[in-house]
Amino acid sequence: MPNAIITGTSRGLGRALAEKLLHEGWNVWGFSRSPSPIKHEHYREHLIDITDEAGVQNAVSLISQSSINIDLLVNNAGAASMNAFLLTPAKTAEALIRLNYLGTFHCLQAVGKLMVRQRHGLVINITTVAVPLVLAGEAAYAASKAAVDSLTKVSAEEFKSQGITVIGLGFGPMDTDLIKAVNKEKINQINQRINRPDGTTLNQAVDFIFKHLDKKSISSGDLYYLGKIS
Amino acid sequence: MITRSQILVIILNRLKSLGAELQKPALIEATEQTRLFGDRADLDSMGLVTLIADLEFDLQQNLGRTVSLVDEKAMSRLTSPFRRVDYLADYLVELLNEPKS
Repeated sequence: MPNAIITGTSRGLGRALAEKLLHEGWNVWGFSRSPSPIKHEHYREHLIDITDEAGVQNAVSLISQSSINIDLLVNNAGAASMNAFLLTPAKTAEALIRLNYLGTFHCLQAVGKLMVRQRHGLVINITTVAVPLVLAGEAAYAASKAAVDSLTKVSAEEFKSQGITVIGLGFGPMDTDLIKAVNKEKINQINQRINRPDGTTLNQAVDFIFKHLDKKSISSGDLYYLGKIS
Repeated sequence: MITRSQILVIILNRLKSLGAELQKPALIEATEQTRLFGDRADLDSMGLVTLIADLEFDLQQNLGRTVSLVDEKAMSRLTSPFRRVDYLADYLVELLNEPKS
């Protein structure tokens, strides 16, 4: 039975992905700040803040003590904020870097060590079309995700001799709490630009992730987007 | 108290299996003087990373200790603890026996 660690499983994409993996016969460990509604015999949860390096290391250490291999890490937990650059409080930028980038950094480092020992593993970092589209109003968010994209590419390069694959999967707006405060017109414009006028549902995003679980069909270090990026 | 000889056995056993995996006879027959990193060493940078990850696991499995071998303390030493087996053994004895804060 394959094993996965997913961050941000209390809601949105993380929860939907965890439920699908569980349905497909995976064991799933969820890292989440608040309890997830998921109830399944193969779901285990660590209530941690992924910006806390020691907390992440401790959770991964506990998982590794059960002598199982971790086949998949999905760095999904994240936050977004939209504002004109000149009006974006520095504290907002700092919080986004802390959660989106450093949270991913801590999880990738802790689980990466486990995967190096296994000489095997797939890491999926969730990213956004906001980086390649260069969207006005998303300076702080896009910069934090651009940092994740760089981490994806560089870690893939370093892990290539260890049998570990690292990719980024990028999405446009989804109907989750992440974008609940964003103007609908703005959302429509982004969806038009990526040629997904009806937007992206959680199920479509989960299916897109599933398509990229087969290492033969992906190239480590690459970023794949659901939608057209031009 | 964790002894130096306990640590040395763990390091040399790990080098033996890593040497077999990487097909490096010098690692299979490693001694305290075996160079791990730098000039005339048998590990490249990713080989060293692999050794560190493996050793952290070994320390947890054999001694029940969860430690991160790479921290600012290790990096700020004049002589890198990862340069040679004996330096690494000395560093680990110190790290594992220091009082818990």
